[in-house]
Amino acid sequence: MSRSLPGLPGPRLEPTTAGFWLAAGEGRLVVQRCSQCGQHRHPPTEVCYVCNSLDWVWEDQPGTGTVFSYTWTDAPVVPSLEELGPYNISVIELDSTQGVVRLLSRVVDATRSQVQIGLAVPVDFDPVDDQVALPIFRPLVPQAGDPS
Amino acid sequence: MSDPIVSDEWLRDRAAIVGIGHTPWGTRGEYADKGHLRLVIEAIVAACDDAGISPQDVDGYSSYYTSVEPPDLYTAFGAKRLSYSSQTWGGGGSSMGGAFANAAMAVATGQAEYVVVHKVMTMEGSSRYGQAFGQMGQQAPTLPGPMAFSVPYGLQSPGQMFALAARRHMHRFGTTTEHFAEVTINARNMAHGNPEARFRDLITVDDHHRSRMIADPLRLFDFCMETDYGCALVITSAERARDLRQPPAYIRSAAAMAPYRYGGALMSFYNHPDDDFASSGQRDVAQALFRLAGVGPADLDAAMVYDHFTPMVLMSLEDFGICPKGEGGPYAADGNLGLKGPLPINTHGGNLAEAYAHGMNHVYEAVRQVRGTARLQVPGAENVLVVGGAGPAPSSGMILGATP
Repeated sequence: MSRSLPGLPGPRLEPTTAGFWLAAGEGRLVVQRCSQCGQHRHPPTEVCYVCNSLDWVWEDQPGTGTVFSYTWTDAPVVPSLEELGPYNISVIELDSTQGVVRLLSRVVDATRSQVQIGLAVPVDFDPVDDQVALPIFRPLVPQAGDPS
Repeated sequence: MSDPIVSDEWLRDRAAIVGIGHTPWGTRGEYADKGHLRLVIEAIVAACDDAGISPQDVDGYSSYYTSVEPPDLYTAFGAKRLSYSSQTWGGGGSSMGGAFANAAMAVATGQAEYVVVHKVMTMEGSSRYGQAFGQMGQQAPTLPGPMAFSVPYGLQSPGQMFALAARRHMHRFGTTTEHFAEVTINARNMAHGNPEARFRDLITVDDHHRSRMIADPLRLFDFCMETDYGCALVITSAERARDLRQPPAYIRSAAAMAPYRYGGALMSFYNHPDDDFASSGQRDVAQALFRLAGVGPADLDAAMVYDHFTPMVLMSLEDFGICPKGEGGPYAADGNLGLKGPLPINTHGGNLAEAYAHGMNHVYEAVRQVRGTARLQVPGAENVLVVGGAGPAPSSGMILGATP
């Protein structure tokens, strides 16, 4: 489980996806890129959806993005999250792969009125264990709000 | 017709729904002690009785996202043989129309004589959809597969995923929560005198807005209520249908499809084109259903639109061309959903007010409309659309007709 959302599972390290989570554990945001045609893609898969090449690499990203859509969870599904109060879930579109890669993530340290579509957010990392972290996002001007 | 096998119209009206049956709609967990097999069997007995056939005549089964399997059913009833069995992918009620497409193809091509489409749910414990994804986290320290990119972030339920689509739609088109309320208001209006409906009280926009926020911008009254049920329908060829007890509800078209890179919808995939992100993901299947049926939106007399979450109804109306893209909200607010509107929507009350039977009660109501036996009958209903749930690919639908 991550530090900020107790009681939830962490991501399992699988052959196709482990690189994403382990890079985050080192404080880097990476995205899959096709070795043949250069297309970025996410979430990770084994084949390029443009040219169908099976060869790919991880590419470091600057880690800035904007909020594409969001929701606030007022009624958590699991009891372990109830004490946190409402928490944010956002879809973040990365600046470096505009229109191509969006991540499901969270905007932390932000008030309810602050999180709007188009809000600029740099990446941060929420540790799961000593190897793995979840990429999360934090406004340039943090405000007291959703806990991180 | 140079090649009748691949022509658009080949399957049109060659199969019909001839029997419908279901258990009473139960509250969540009410029928857990009965078990799924018993609930399905009760529904099949009722559907066969409605059709005027014996369950032993049923030699095919077709379903979607269902646990009770055809080998157990045909053996239980003592049918002479199992001639056809299939199940579609998708989640919840998204691929509902695919089960009817498979059934129609099976009876029209002579693979089976009578195919039952069945669906069952007792929503207790881990079966409860609203808790299913969350409970993944309670059982294991890590999660595999696509859900590893969503559940660890606290995205654990269908309400949250559709909230993301709703918020994007609000941003792009000015849709409001008042518009969402209109969908629930219509459902309650339709269910008001329906003795089978679970929620019959009329509500206002204020009532809707006073209900508690669950997955902002979605409130309690934007959600349907989990229901226990067993459902079955009998499909046979048009020729056989004409000799049975009920007026046939001809299957003009049925299909399950998904757009480019739609994946598991917003539960685990967020990189589809923006127009599909703020949609029900049903533009492709809508076009196919109209083309295969040989009718257009203007030819419809009523529509039963899957309404697990209110904003998805607005987006389905857009994807099916019943209103222009982005105008689902104003279309609903202008009173177009009601009996006096151009296309009455969910005359039974839908998932929101009658029961959440994953699209099956929408099909029942469409059948009643073309039979002419609906409680809120649209006079002379000839073409009735059923829309499957927005959700994991593929989504689906069906157009039923009164006369071939």
